[in-house]
Amino acid sequence: MAVARNMRRTSPITIVLASLMAFGFLCFLFSSPSPPVSTSSTTSDSRLEDTAEHPLSPPTKPFIPQPVQNDGRHVQAPPVVKYDLNALTASSDASNKAERILILTPLARFYQGYWDNVEKLSYPHKLISLGFIIPHTKDGDAALSSLEKAIARTQTGTEQNRFASITILRQDFDPPLASQSEKERHKLKNQKARRESMSRARNSLMFTTLGPSTSWVLWLDSDIVETPNTLIQDLTSHNRPVIVPNCMQRYYNTDTKQNDIRPYDFNSWIDSSTAQALGDTLKPDEILLEGYAELPTYRTLMAYQADTKNPRPKRVIDLDGVGGTALMVKADVHRDGAMFPAFPFYHLVETEGFAKMAKRLGYSVHGLPDYFV
Amino acid sequence: MNRHAALANGYTAYPRSGQGTFSISPHKFQPRSQPALRRRRQLIQRICLIGGVSFFLLILIFPSWRASILPALSLGLLSSSDHLQIQTVRYYDLAKVKGSASGWEDGDRVLMCTPLRDAASHLPMFFSHLRNLTYPHHLIDLAFLVSDSKDQTNEMLENMLEELQRDPDRDMPFGEISVIKKDFGQQVKQDVESRHGFAAQAGRRKLMAQARNWLLSATLRPTHGWVYWRDADVLTAPSTILEDLMRHDKDVIVPNVWRPLPDWLGGEQPYDLNSWQESETALALADTLDEDAVIVEGYAEYATWRPHLAYLRDPYGDPDMEMELDGVGGVSILAKARVFRAGVHFPAFSFEKHAETEGFGKMARRMGFSVVGLPHYTIWHLYEPSVDDLKHMEEMEKERRAREAEEKAEAERAQRTETYFKDPKVESEIDNAFVRDSVEEEEKAKDATPEKSDSTPEKADSKTGKGKYMLDDKHDKKPQPKDDKVKGDADVDTKTEK
Repeated sequence: MAVARNMRRTSPITIVLASLMAFGFLCFLFSSPSPPVSTSSTTSDSRLEDTAEHPLSPPTKPFIPQPVQNDGRHVQAPPVVKYDLNALTASSDASNKAERILILTPLARFYQGYWDNVEKLSYPHKLISLGFIIPHTKDGDAALSSLEKAIARTQTGTEQNRFASITILRQDFDPPLASQSEKERHKLKNQKARRESMSRARNSLMFTTLGPSTSWVLWLDSDIVETPNTLIQDLTSHNRPVIVPNCMQRYYNTDTKQNDIRPYDFNSWIDSSTAQALGDTLKPDEILLEGYAELPTYRTLMAYQADTKNPRPKRVIDLDGVGGTALMVKADVHRDGAMFPAFPFYHLVETEGFAKMAKRLGYSVHGLPDYFV
Repeated sequence: MNRHAALANGYTAYPRSGQGTFSISPHKFQPRSQPALRRRRQLIQRICLIGGVSFFLLILIFPSWRASILPALSLGLLSSSDHLQIQTVRYYDLAKVKGSASGWEDGDRVLMCTPLRDAASHLPMFFSHLRNLTYPHHLIDLAFLVSDSKDQTNEMLENMLEELQRDPDRDMPFGEISVIKKDFGQQVKQDVESRHGFAAQAGRRKLMAQARNWLLSATLRPTHGWVYWRDADVLTAPSTILEDLMRHDKDVIVPNVWRPLPDWLGGEQPYDLNSWQESETALALADTLDEDAVIVEGYAEYATWRPHLAYLRDPYGDPDMEMELDGVGGVSILAKARVFRAGVHFPAFSFEKHAETEGFGKMARRMGFSVVGLPHYTIWHLYEPSVDDLKHMEEMEKERRAREAEEKAEAERAQRTETYFKDPKVESEIDNAFVRDSVEEEEKAKDATPEKSDSTPEKADSKTGKGKYMLDDKHDKKPQPKDDKVKGDADVDTKTEK
């Protein structure tokens, strides 16, 4: 009991220490809420005006959460929201007209380089919405957690750096391949199944996130780690329905003992008569693939059209097939129904099939051979 | 197991070896030592006070913290601070919204899409159907696409939707409601004749497909389990239609669509001929056509010999019977959202020689989804008379009016004679009345005889009938039949000249 009596006579130091501890505890409680559930912080009025009318409303806009009752109903009946799509434009002067960009990425693995690169884009971030689709695999879980960390950092950071909205989807079907290693991924016999599943992932992502306010859709693969900061402005300035830059890979050239670049995306091509003849011989369920010795197509590949010595980034060529590593599409093209066929469409699937479908819908498809990403 | 029972049996719940330490039965009373909390009450109070004050000061100093701290403390009760937080991240697991067979129990959200054009006259009927739907309304998201409308469709739609959402009945308001306006510059007129003319079909259907795709891509959300396409001009449909179709748990399912007809056309007729099974003939036909051609069903130009869902209807058949389909009609389609997510849409180009909903059915089959129709489960489409029908109906209406007028006149005369006979006071007038009647009759006979000479006896009859009774009613109209007479005379003249 004597000890307790001593303790009762508290010195000011104890009190200060205790209050410090209480403060630290409070800080710990409130400073780091779990990232995907609530990434909230104060924002300026310009952003407030831009929010969706209702949490259910377009996924390309930020929203203000509303109380939901136990039975899943909203306390207030959702409003009637009108959208005038006649006024929606997709023009060469995208940033001045405040046209919204949706960047879509099927994410199998998270690369910090990808995120840093997206963060560096100079297009106003409040007009950029991001969409991700992640498979239900172990790799996917890992990618998700690192993505959430990156998002939490960006969306609570400086205001002009924050993106308008971010949608994360988990795939509702299993990918056909367990391994995502490059070698396994690019094997010819695995290609069809892999690319059909990729198409479904892309379609799921596109149809659910497009919404009524998007003007442009930029497809960016998760392994694109280096683009010019002005990528969006540059691609929109051409004002083409579908446009694709040339995708290159940096590597260490063992022959010349220095860092060099080499072509990476072989899916952007101009059709050849050989390929068409080859296509006619195939059964309806077979597909034609590019870059495999088994199927000599003799198509003109954009990857090899690049002039690395003195590039003219404004040079535009017409294409028949496109790759999906970096692909800028007017939202209207998708709205008209151009999607990524998950079945052989004129013996083409995924992005190449998409180019074919866009052409069938009367849109032109272009490439920028000297614009590297 | 009851512990006391265990003790009664001679067994103990705990080992007895360590009598003192492990025994839980209190052998002697020991006052519990005073809890530390009570002892250091004053200290704790002071700490709380100081903590509170410092917290308050900190909030004053760093206003940016308020947004994150206040709602957490108030447990979301302070709705005034809501506008301070904007959420930007949405997370959805598509595997959880696959669309189940009993969606109304599992809380599946349904997106109901309706394309509209110049449909103001159908809206009241459509909204009465909406209100009657038995599927939980808050789980239904409505999406409308209003395109190229010249009538009041847009204003009417918005007013009716606002009214619907303000309904005091908690079960009435729907979920997210989007009204999308987009003009495609359609040249095709919307009356029945031009809409269903063979030549206009391919172009029209491609534009319709485009409209459907715009609507879908703008309103489909990751939360939707099912998508229901419904036209505004459905006359009657069961209010449980969503549950009925959902119950089958198919990827794409359509009911049979018929339309009622006036009795003189046979009472009823299959309406939707776009739901069919593929036939050999049609496949062979498709091979002969060029890439952009679109086969449209129900026209003599393309004889496909396909088995149609519509013709297989038996009014007393089992409504749950299913039938595999290749092409579907768009009046009422229920599909799982994952079908659309996988990329199936309404081709606005010629997909395997088909466009719009038929192409949709084909594409869904192509991607391995099940496409099913219910031949004996029928909804009724509104009957819109064609131009020929309208003409016929006009004639019938004329005849009817003439008949009615005749009956009326007959009744009047009967009544008049009756009153005259019954009324004893005016008995003297009866004779006068008879005289007047006979004079009128004579006049009528005079008017009628020259017209009888008209070349078409049937029409002339109806005309004269009308003229006759007009004369009876109003004498001002007298010149009109005279004009007719002159015309008739002129006709006769020209004929004689020939």
